[in-house]
Amino acid sequence: MTFNDYVWLRRLGRTATAYALLAPSLFGVVVFLLLPMLVVLWLSLNRWDLLGPMEFVGLSNWQSVLSDSSFGTSLVVTAVFIALVVPMQTVLGLFAAAMLARDLPGSRFFRTLYVLPWICSPLAIAVLWRWILAPTDGAVSTVLGHRIEWLTDPQLALPVVSAVTIWTNVGYVTLFFLAGILAIPREIHDAARTDGANAWQRFRRITLPMLRPTLFFVLVTGIVSAAQVFDTVYALTGGGPAGRTDLVAHRIYAEAFGAAAVGRAAVMAVVLFALLVGVTLAQQIYFRRRISYDLT
Amino acid sequence: MTSLSRAASGVVIYPLLLAAAVITLVPFGLGLLTSFTSAEQFNTEAPLSLPTPPTLANYVGLADAGFGRALVVTALMTAVIVLGQLTCSVLAGYAFARLEFPGRDALFWVYVATLMVPTTVMVVPLYLMMAEAGLRNTFWALVLPFVFGSPYAIFLLREYFRTIPADLIRAARVDGANTLDVIWHVVLPASRPILVTLALITVVSQWNNFMWPLVITSGDTWRVLTVATAGLQSRYDAQWTLVMAATTVAIVPLIVLFVAFGRHIVRSIVVTGLK
Repeated sequence: MTFNDYVWLRRLGRTATAYALLAPSLFGVVVFLLLPMLVVLWLSLNRWDLLGPMEFVGLSNWQSVLSDSSFGTSLVVTAVFIALVVPMQTVLGLFAAAMLARDLPGSRFFRTLYVLPWICSPLAIAVLWRWILAPTDGAVSTVLGHRIEWLTDPQLALPVVSAVTIWTNVGYVTLFFLAGILAIPREIHDAARTDGANAWQRFRRITLPMLRPTLFFVLVTGIVSAAQVFDTVYALTGGGPAGRTDLVAHRIYAEAFGAAAVGRAAVMAVVLFALLVGVTLAQQIYFRRRISYDLT
Repeated sequence: MTSLSRAASGVVIYPLLLAAAVITLVPFGLGLLTSFTSAEQFNTEAPLSLPTPPTLANYVGLADAGFGRALVVTALMTAVIVLGQLTCSVLAGYAFARLEFPGRDALFWVYVATLMVPTTVMVVPLYLMMAEAGLRNTFWALVLPFVFGSPYAIFLLREYFRTIPADLIRAARVDGANTLDVIWHVVLPASRPILVTLALITVVSQWNNFMWPLVITSGDTWRVLTVATAGLQSRYDAQWTLVMAATTVAIVPLIVLFVAFGRHIVRSIVVTGLK
């Protein structure tokens, strides 16, 4: 055996080892992540009712989904939901983080406590709030002494679902801002204080600009996860009243597993996927351009 | 900061922090109280009166409604997924971090690209695939999509494994260790923090998983806690004492985990940024 043969055999052995280690996860990625992407495209071209045989119908699902109003309404509802949830949870999270960053005694305890709702099952949280907001025997009605249709009033339902989502998420958002604030070198603040900057000026001129990467992370993950909220709507309102809280994830579910129109659900899934990839890519491009701390 | 201004800011900040804590905790407290209230008392007195006497009747009712089985199925599902996901992710993470082989970078790029695939989009096609495979309403259907590792875990493990000194691995190699020996005896002991992080995050997300179990299982056999809770709520919408016992059962194991590992979990969230 020549030396070259030996090197070649070693390399072959190393490649075989690597692919043996990768085999299980590669199987998972191909079968449960990549293949479903193709399957959902294929499904969008077929009519299927979950039980019977599939029937190829070309683009007719696409035509029916894009021409009828239920999907458009659902996208608008989702956009409003995102607009209600993401800015609010971001501002509250930033505010809470700024207070916790003072590192007063007990800050760690509060920080941990605030994440509690986010750790718990969103489904169970939604069921809990469904009781709290129940019109006759719920906690809020009992305290107020009169009935408010929190979840069935067309004007109130979406803001209420948004509020429950914000309540769940704020502690999570706080963690990231807190980590971001604590990563800012003390010297910058000390120097500004020496120069006579007050707390607000330091927050506005140092903390906020330095938090830009965190802010983008929080905004983008906030949008991507708010666009997929399902459990909360499923248990709180079921998408009602009259579709006012019919977020797009819930619409996809209802279309596929309620109305047994799987082809239409597949179209909606493809559209949602395209929109979310768009958000993620836009963020990547923007982020790469502005990653530097703007200290000037 | 001077102690005076520190005290002053405390006067402003503590009430706000406390108010936020109350808003966070009160819904849980109310749910817990209601779960120990008898249905008769809940219906005849004001719904928020303290349970007198506290009763376990609602929890007994849950046991009759098959929650014992749901608890076992959920725990089993979570355990299998955590073990499988960690094992497969560690193997892949090691290959990406420490081995050179043709196609490595392209393949890693594919793994990272799949991070953008939203779970909501997967449910419909996965349902078709499971139906075609004859796996609807089986334990396999619950765990298969998640058990073969997660690209995100692989990504984080790869980053972590790259920080392990090459000398440690080389020394083990010289002593005749094969790749699995190296992973088991050198890499894993050096990676405990990231492994704990990933395990905790996976436990939380799988225990809470709802949409996939909801669509792929039917009936009581493989029903998980979230699905059982949702079913109970839609069947007995007015029996809030029973329903609150169900949410308590779904939530309490995670709160226990949280009390035991709170600081780890907080750190894990910041490290992984993951739901």
